[in-house]
Amino acid sequence: MDRDGHPDGEAEAEGMNICRPLKETIPSADTLATSLSLLGNHMFSYPVERDDGATSDQQEPPDSYLSHVTVHDERPDEEPDSNHRESPQTEDMDNSDCHSNDSRTADGGTKEDVVDIDQSDSGEFVVTMLAKAKLEEQGIGVKGRSSPLLEVGTEETPAFMSHRDEDVTADSWREHRKHVFVLSEAGKPIYSRYGSEEALSSTMGVMMALVSFVQSGDNIIRSVYSEGHTVVFLQKGPLVLVCVSSSRQSEEQLRGELLYVYYQIISMLTQASISRIFEHKKNYDLRRLLAGSEKILDGLLNLVDSDPSFLLAAIHCLPLASSLRDSLSQILQKAITPNLVFSILIAKNQLLTIVQEKTVIEDTRLEPADVHLLLNLIGASSAFQAGEIWTPICLPLFNPDCYFYAYISYLDPPECTVCLLLLSTDKEAFYAVAECKRKIEEAMLAQNSLSLIAKAQSYSVSQVGVSDLRHFMYKPFDVPDNHRQLTQFTSPEMEAPYSSEEEKMRLLDLYRYMHSRIHSTSRPLKLIYHVAERETLLAWVTSKFELYTCFSPLVTKACAITAITKLLRWIKKEEERLFIRYPPKYSTTPNPSKSSRGGKSDQQDSTDNGFLQFVLTRQKLKTLRLTLFQEE
Amino acid sequence: MKKPDVKVVLLGDMNVGKTSLLHRYTERKFKDTISTVGGAFFLKQWGPYNISIWDTAGREQFHGLGSMYCRGASAVILTYDVTNWQSLAELEERFLSLTDTANHDCIYALVGNKADLTDLKAQLPLDLSGASPASLSGTGLHKQVPREEAMALYERILRYKGLDEKSSLPAEKMCFETSAKTGYNVDTLFETLFDLVLPSILRKRNENLVSPTVDLEEYREASARRGKTCC
Ligand SMILES: Nc1nc2c(ncn2[C@@H]2O[C@H](COP(=O)(O)OP(=O)(O)OP(=O)(O)O)[C@@H](O)[C@H]2O)c(=O)[nH]1
Ligand SMILES: [Mg+2]
Repeated sequence: MDRDGHPDGEAEAEGMNICRPLKETIPSADTLATSLSLLGNHMFSYPVERDDGATSDQQEPPDSYLSHVTVHDERPDEEPDSNHRESPQTEDMDNSDCHSNDSRTADGGTKEDVVDIDQSDSGEFVVTMLAKAKLEEQGIGVKGRSSPLLEVGTEETPAFMSHRDEDVTADSWREHRKHVFVLSEAGKPIYSRYGSEEALSSTMGVMMALVSFVQSGDNIIRSVYSEGHTVVFLQKGPLVLVCVSSSRQSEEQLRGELLYVYYQIISMLTQASISRIFEHKKNYDLRRLLAGSEKILDGLLNLVDSDPSFLLAAIHCLPLASSLRDSLSQILQKAITPNLVFSILIAKNQLLTIVQEKTVIEDTRLEPADVHLLLNLIGASSAFQAGEIWTPICLPLFNPDCYFYAYISYLDPPECTVCLLLLSTDKEAFYAVAECKRKIEEAMLAQNSLSLIAKAQSYSVSQVGVSDLRHFMYKPFDVPDNHRQLTQFTSPEMEAPYSSEEEKMRLLDLYRYMHSRIHSTSRPLKLIYHVAERETLLAWVTSKFELYTCFSPLVTKACAITAITKLLRWIKKEEERLFIRYPPKYSTTPNPSKSSRGGKSDQQDSTDNGFLQFVLTRQKLKTLRLTLFQEE
Repeated sequence: MKKPDVKVVLLGDMNVGKTSLLHRYTERKFKDTISTVGGAFFLKQWGPYNISIWDTAGREQFHGLGSMYCRGASAVILTYDVTNWQSLAELEERFLSLTDTANHDCIYALVGNKADLTDLKAQLPLDLSGASPASLSGTGLHKQVPREEAMALYERILRYKGLDEKSSLPAEKMCFETSAKTGYNVDTLFETLFDLVLPSILRKRNENLVSPTVDLEEYREASARRGKTCC
């Protein structure tokens, strides 16, 4: 039952943010209404016209035109409402008829469905209607009221902050595609992507009121939908993160992005010290410690928007002849010093190779998110590239409570495209680690590595030799024999018609949409064939990989599938070049039985045993090296 | 990397312009900076000597690393912002104790940066390049820290260090007002300090029994090039 002649699997119901009915009526819906209305005035004051959705060429999910508030219980989702078909799709390539059963629900009906569900619950209905009403600028007597939080906020004069002095009352501020705010549980502003936190403290206060209101009813507020906007909340320890987005991404994706923001904050302060600070003083102004880090968070959010690595939670390495990659790894492997745990080489902001300490690699592996945070830090601190940087950094997924010491230096000044990152567990190791860099530099000079690296570049999709294929992203999953491998993906350069920034973003948005469908919590799919206006996309997830492909518009499903078979064959053939196959190891622990390189053992003798301890008790490591940045 | 002969450390609150000062001195430019993370290490060739310079982060977040950067320092540049009184106070409250790990004969300089915002004379770089008359107008910002305040702090630092005022370098000589933006006094600052740490280098070299093939003339020339001290 193809719609509009499109052989398309897109016709099934959307708007699936199934709300579990609230058990009790919301106590003071009034307060919430006020909060929402204030938020509404702040964030979306322009009237949004209703769109019937069904006629949309782009086939956006109809739920993005609805406004409703979703309040989730904290308990795991039970079987969702029976009005919706909820069994996970298990369509596969083998099922040639995979989409014929998709279009059971008409779009208009879907929309009504969702509204009906909302109305069936009194508490939620109130919230929904108020939100909607406010956004349509016909408030129910709440317009004249103002929250005490708001008044406190506006009285504060914005501090002098030259780069962040955007006028928060201007339309241009509201029209940003994605706002991100971080605030403390006590409602103190910590970060805002646009405009200074001070000027925004009223908005932050309103959000906090919203959060604490729903918390009081034992529900954690998770998201608010309105015409054109999704508001997503994430509470992590004493921090509350909020995203207000008109990007039409899924709630899960937005929450994932907020999690990256949280992790980046952790990477600078550690989780343990944040909890300690707020245990000590609920009212603490965390900006004292984060001041100056705004650009790092800004940079992260720009990357999140423009780099699919974050969406896929995988690393994109620079394609390189495996012989060259191996020789670079060997160079890193030979330049070691006690307590060195990771040696990472980066070119053009992409990974060239990564070498890990043996004990570390046995214990765990570096998570893609940690690598993303490192890459972002490097990008943000590269303004003054001639120097050698030595800075504490926490890898939140490795251990959220302790610091590594990162040595960052560019190997090719003044171009500064090849960057060496060495991570040590020893705060005092700067000079020893800088000496490793000197060795690496020498070896690279001898092997002419820099000019070889300079020639390396991302590839063009034309090399795949599949006509109509415009772009793809391929992410292989861990298979047993390379279990300890870094999660990676490969993707060609974005070329015409996706060369302009707008078009790149449009393609990324399509991918994000496909991704949200594939990973939908209510109805995960295995394969989606999506005919969009200007291209056709096919996303496919199996136990071995996740693949997103973009074709020219008129490609048939059969053609696309043939093309993908060819593409997979090509990737298999190029695998060695496209991925870091076996991340090498070295040993810098003073453990003679394990040390295979006799030549280095003299170096290792002088090690204090801090590192071994570090590795072995990684999980319980709350105390070791935590005292470093205590205030007292 | 050549082994550094001597260590100079830049300390001071965030945003006072430490990175900008160093950048102005080494790259002869003023450009947009990003708040420093941790510390950045630079090696400056000064005649036959290698001077290592640590540009540290002023953010409270990195406070714990400060004493490590200062260990064995021969000179510490305590930087504040002339338009921000608190930045001078922070030097005494937060940064002075970090210098406990510095050499006992360490030299201290107090540097009030962003003088271009308050002093007309600092709006013109000494080499007069690139300054249009228009850029001279509208300073507007109130100078919060008179040089006397910095000099008083310098005296307190000497006392804190247990140094004799008479045998130490005078406040008049060690308190600078600079502008990384226009370059005002920046070369003077660094070159005065480098000249002052020379004895420290020579002593260290002698200790290491390396014959110092010093061409002192070279330094005289270098420092004479921009030989105007602050006023
Ligand atoms: N007008 C003026 N602005 C300056 C001057 N020096 C620095 N700035 C500005 O002050 C801001 C901070 O400069 P930085 O050099 O990054 O400050 P910093 O002391 O290194 O700060 P941290 O690295 O965070 O400790 C930047 O916006 C500079 O452009 C100056 O001499 N005059
Ligand atoms: Mg700096």
